[in-house]
Amino acid sequence: CLSLLSESDDGNFILQGTQVKDVVIKPEAPNTLLLDKHADYIAAYGSKKDDYEYTLSEYLRMSGIYWGLTVMDLMGQLSRMNREEIIEFIKSCQHDCGGISASTGHDPHLLYTLSAVQILSLYDSINVIDVDKVVDYVKGLQQEDGSFAGDKWGEIDTRFSFCAVATLALLGKLDVINMDKAVGFVLSCMNFDGGFGCRPGSESHAGQIYCCTGFLSITGQLHQVNADLLGWWLCERQLPSGGLNGRPEKLPDVCYSWWVLASLKIIGRIHWIDKAKLRSFILACQDEETGGFADRPGDMVDPFHTLFGVAGLSLLGDEQIKPVNPVFCMPEDVLQRIGLQPDLLN
Amino acid sequence: MHGRVKVKSTAQQEEEKRKEREKKLKAFVSARDAVLRKRSAGEHDEEALQLTQQLLSSNPDFATLWNYRREVLLQLETSREKDEVQKLYESELHFIEACLKVNPKSYGCWHHRSWVNTRLPQPDWTRELGLCDRCLSLDERNFHCWDYRRVVVKESGVSVEQELQFTDRLIGSNFSNYSSWHYRSTLLPQLHPQPAPDSASNTSPSPTASPQIHSHRVCEEQLLKAEREEMISCVYVSRERERVSVAFSKPVHAQSEGLMLVLDGQPQQVEWRSTHPRLRHSPVWLCDLPPGSVSDISNEHNLTVHWTEKYTHRDCALYTGCAESWCRDSATDQELFRSELSVEKSSVLQAELQSCNQLLELEPQNKWCLLTIILLMRALDPLGHEKETLAHFQTLKEVDPMRSSYYSDLCSKFLIENTILKMEYAEVRVFSLSNKNLTTLCHLDQLLLVTHINLSSNQLLRLPPQFAMLQCLEVLEADDNAIESLEGLYHLPKLEEVSLRNNQICKLSDLESLASCTKLTRLDLRGNPVHKTANIDSELSQLLPLVTALSL
Repeated sequence: CLSLLSESDDGNFILQGTQVKDVVIKPEAPNTLLLDKHADYIAAYGSKKDDYEYTLSEYLRMSGIYWGLTVMDLMGQLSRMNREEIIEFIKSCQHDCGGISASTGHDPHLLYTLSAVQILSLYDSINVIDVDKVVDYVKGLQQEDGSFAGDKWGEIDTRFSFCAVATLALLGKLDVINMDKAVGFVLSCMNFDGGFGCRPGSESHAGQIYCCTGFLSITGQLHQVNADLLGWWLCERQLPSGGLNGRPEKLPDVCYSWWVLASLKIIGRIHWIDKAKLRSFILACQDEETGGFADRPGDMVDPFHTLFGVAGLSLLGDEQIKPVNPVFCMPEDVLQRIGLQPDLLN
Repeated sequence: MHGRVKVKSTAQQEEEKRKEREKKLKAFVSARDAVLRKRSAGEHDEEALQLTQQLLSSNPDFATLWNYRREVLLQLETSREKDEVQKLYESELHFIEACLKVNPKSYGCWHHRSWVNTRLPQPDWTRELGLCDRCLSLDERNFHCWDYRRVVVKESGVSVEQELQFTDRLIGSNFSNYSSWHYRSTLLPQLHPQPAPDSASNTSPSPTASPQIHSHRVCEEQLLKAEREEMISCVYVSRERERVSVAFSKPVHAQSEGLMLVLDGQPQQVEWRSTHPRLRHSPVWLCDLPPGSVSDISNEHNLTVHWTEKYTHRDCALYTGCAESWCRDSATDQELFRSELSVEKSSVLQAELQSCNQLLELEPQNKWCLLTIILLMRALDPLGHEKETLAHFQTLKEVDPMRSSYYSDLCSKFLIENTILKMEYAEVRVFSLSNKNLTTLCHLDQLLLVTHINLSSNQLLRLPPQFAMLQCLEVLEADDNAIESLEGLYHLPKLEEVSLRNNQICKLSDLESLASCTKLTRLDLRGNPVHKTANIDSELSQLLPLVTALSL
């Protein structure tokens, strides 16, 4: 617990209150892994196409499909998903510029271009789209300072640097961009605490740290990370409940079991987390009734948190789940098939 | 997707909710379809603005709609006078602010606002700064707003001092002020680009006001960021192997550094290689000299390694009668593991240490305090404070057990540093780290010259690839650990004797790398699970034919 001391009138210190933002896990919270229920949840998700949440999240559909397929593959249940329908859908989302959109009628963006390439990699069907055009699209988004815009409207963010190199790595085309400048930009986003933000000067955030360490792994530049300093910041994300937050003074969230944990794995410091306590937190985020994981115990589930809960458990060594690659958040066997084994620090 | 509590309700409540959502959904779908139809038809008019406005207010993450809106605005610009364009975009800013009230964390909203300011004939940065002030007063941790503020500040030329004052106000009034401290960390270097070594630590809060940030700052300033001068730390030459080993002050990729080797005034064509294939960036690199160039022990030679990228070099003289030679940087302990301290800086740190110790008396379980004390002691006198440091680490592990692995590793690092410092003073090549509760190894690049190393009775799990940097190693004692991996015992040219009793070597393949250590003759593997492998004796004699004294 953090304490606040302040000076009283007579010069002695007064103890003020202490508060740590966290959740309390109820004793009746789930404590075993309900893999079958999660598979059923994902398999059924999106079959009711008139569902409210489903429709409102159309703007990220490509990523939603990637989350669902990846978690099913990690659970060995990929065959329950509709491969042909998904592949046709992806084809219909590639635009003339080469970029891929989240759904039909939406505009192309790097985020959904990556998700699409990840899905096609899972299905070993990368050639159903025009790969060269995808490569051109990604290359065209690199800016003078090495950064990447998300799309033609120019938003800059280190998330997009990650999307760019991850996409190109999966396609075997990393050489088309200016690597030195791309690396230079990401390094310019490194902060006093060893972490990374969206843009130079932005506060460290676990999601950005995942993107930047993933980027540096793919580009062979992990030696530029201060692993001890960053590892400490990351392991400080663990709260008394065992869950992880994304930055200081925030509530824990199961998706940080991925962003933080994968980052720790990439920089060789995953043992700095209390694994048993994190596992209990993740398991407590399951919904025994509906299947799936929520951001924290008792909340509503969704495919996003379901993937990162399961992927987090895989990184923690759960043998009922396939090994997951910490850089790409895809099953290791898929990456082995492609021949991609990005460096990790030991 | 975040923070939506699952609420239990009655059947009737469920039905009402379902009807409500069906209604909302119908409205959304119909509006969405209308918008996408209009866009397909290439219509860029007021109606498009109205339809997108309706949708974006409650769906600000529907990015395509912001794109469409921008297309419409750009189209409208072409048929309007400057003052009308000004009004058009000002009303756009008004709309965005309404969206931000509903959702202050939408990437799409904030980006659109930035975009609008690039189109406004006359942006009003004062108003924008005011928006940031209001937004941050509601949520001081909103990083979207902080990022936007940085743009506003840059465009409008707000001074660094002014911004520092802003952070002062926020920090004073709010406990959750990490974002402000982060901002300060970026502002101060702009004010003082080259901080004098003795400048007061005004980047850190006092240990009492914000112990967490204080630990970070001490960490970063004093130790973990200790920027060493870029140089060649050590050159080692072996006549027998006709090999040069070079240690750099940081990991490099030799082939990209413009390295040049000069022997007796003649540049040599050499190829640099790392000590281990997994180390593509490494502080230690090797190269072989042309055969016969230094093998005659009656000859004296002068060798220079030039690091042309950094305009630095190191000489090494190989004397008659000497089988080997080296030249090391004469770094005192001041420079090896911590920043140089002036008298003024020392007294500042001393005062901080005193302050923390006072706090610790009141709060003996305050982990930030304990950690900061450890770091301050290391900055001031690592060897003198060793005992106290170990005691504090023990307390830390009890007080904050979730992070005990971190504390164990950090403590191991400090013990290794202290041992290196003592070795420097004694000028020996024997290195003992036995019985120190070590959980990890580091600074192995500092051990290039070590001939004997004792790692026995610790908690090590592996000898990592970096261990291959111990190019002079002859004897390794590593009994009583939990070692499963010997990756780093790789092409160690002088390694003769290895003792690994009571470890966790399980498979024959764990021992494969030893085959590359061609001088290895004595190997003790007693007390390892591997002895249970079928035909282990014959397997080992096949794998390691040169080992004559094998104990299982």
